[in-house]
Amino acid sequence: MLNIKTVFGGLALVLAFDLNQPAYAYLDPGTGSIILQLLLGGVAGLAVVGKLYWQRVREFFGLSEKKTPEKSVQPTNE
Amino acid sequence: MSEAVADPGSFRDPSGRIYQVGGQVFRTITDYAAKDYEFVRDTGVLERLCDDGKVIASKSVSRDVLGFEGRSARYVVEHPRLPFISYPYEWSFPALKAAALLHLDVHIAALDAGVTLSDATAYNVQFLGANPVFIDLLSFRQYREGEIWTGHRQFCEQFVNPLLLRAKLGVTHNAWYRGTQEGISARDLHQVLPWTKKLSRNVLIHVVAQSALQKSATASGARNAIGNASLPLSALQKMLSGLRQWIETLEPADTGKTVWQNYAGSHSYTDDEVEGKKKFIAEFAAETKPSVIWDLGCNSGDYSKVALENGAEYAVGFDFDHGALERAFARARAEDLKFQATFFDGANPSPNQGWSENERQGLAARANADVLVALALIHHFAIGKNLPLRGVVNWLVGLAPEGVIEFVPKGDPMVNELLALREDIFPNYTEKGFVQYLTDCAEIVTTSVPTKSGRKMFRYKRKQ
Repeated sequence: MLNIKTVFGGLALVLAFDLNQPAYAYLDPGTGSIILQLLLGGVAGLAVVGKLYWQRVREFFGLSEKKTPEKSVQPTNE
Repeated sequence: MSEAVADPGSFRDPSGRIYQVGGQVFRTITDYAAKDYEFVRDTGVLERLCDDGKVIASKSVSRDVLGFEGRSARYVVEHPRLPFISYPYEWSFPALKAAALLHLDVHIAALDAGVTLSDATAYNVQFLGANPVFIDLLSFRQYREGEIWTGHRQFCEQFVNPLLLRAKLGVTHNAWYRGTQEGISARDLHQVLPWTKKLSRNVLIHVVAQSALQKSATASGARNAIGNASLPLSALQKMLSGLRQWIETLEPADTGKTVWQNYAGSHSYTDDEVEGKKKFIAEFAAETKPSVIWDLGCNSGDYSKVALENGAEYAVGFDFDHGALERAFARARAEDLKFQATFFDGANPSPNQGWSENERQGLAARANADVLVALALIHHFAIGKNLPLRGVVNWLVGLAPEGVIEFVPKGDPMVNELLALREDIFPNYTEKGFVQYLTDCAEIVTTSVPTKSGRKMFRYKRKQ
């Protein structure tokens, strides 16, 4: 039996701090699967996923400044 | 010696590629993959899976068989040639399901030998009759403790989600799959499934959670996750066996019987006429002894079976009706027939597509039949689809040098049905017109005794 409680516990954690996040076009297409497998892997995986989203948890509570996407640097001819 | 020609669909993997020399099929293994190949080969797992019919046979041969192309390879192996290459968008639901189960079985067995699969593309599965066989030797590589299943997303997109489309919504996967070529993403399926269809543990995990997690993670987050990613072997095995158990239970949602599902039992022939038709096909197969026969409009495979029992070695059936195809697949399995039932719409057959429009071949490019039979088919093209009769005859004759085409005249109950709700705009749809078009491109060898409604079979031999 796959551990659905871990998956959805982790998923709830992820989504709670993730509302209105845009889906970036440059996502690794396998990201969802990788994180899912970490959660299926058990408690150790949950810790990794928690760490993955820790920054957003801090942002949510105003403990760190929200990261904005880096501006692209235009090459110059100089 | 013929020149080695690289297969246009085999280019993604740096581990090696497929070449054809004359009629033979070879696979190169490059330096990049040599270590993994040696490891896998030495475990003996490939032989075991090959003995079970699950993985294609491979025989080590000299690199010289490929001439110049072989010089960059570390190893070259030869595979037996498959009678017909098909793609997942041409498979029926039970075929896709059988392919999914095979993929999992192969992966589970491989893990027991310390070997894993590097991907999970459905194009690595082909069919011999109704039996799926895994064809990509280079997907096998050494398992490393704790590694995640890199093919999971692909497995879901190419097997699980297309199956769910039919199992949950009653929608066949073929058109969507042919469009994307890579299956159906978790996100797309998540969008189209109503919430009532998501109340299953496996749908929640593999579709809902995967889609949500995919959406929520940034690329930099993903890099962190990959860096730390670890999945214990037991969890991977549990994932594979859990998926296997679940897929085994998936069946098409009940959307009622399809039009042609019971055709074999409800057609317009008398028993004597059916026997006469079978005898004509039996004699044709006995005289031509084809290696491969194409049966266009095969329904559940009655006439393919007759051909196989009378000298044909392998039959590829084509039909657009999923109910009929599912019966055909079940029959081929139950009776162990060398009969491969394939989805196709004659008015819109699979095109050349993919990278460079050459990665997946269209039907015409795969036309390798020695003979074809097209029974009770031509009226569907010429009247049902408004295709010009001459064009239909030319197309059929172009697919195989010899064959049997049945002409179904106006007045036949099936043609009357096609014309019941529409104007008859087909003045040239007559036996005389058909014979004229056929004799323009072929010689008529013999014809059958017409049935009561005037149906007649024409055996042809294409003009050189």
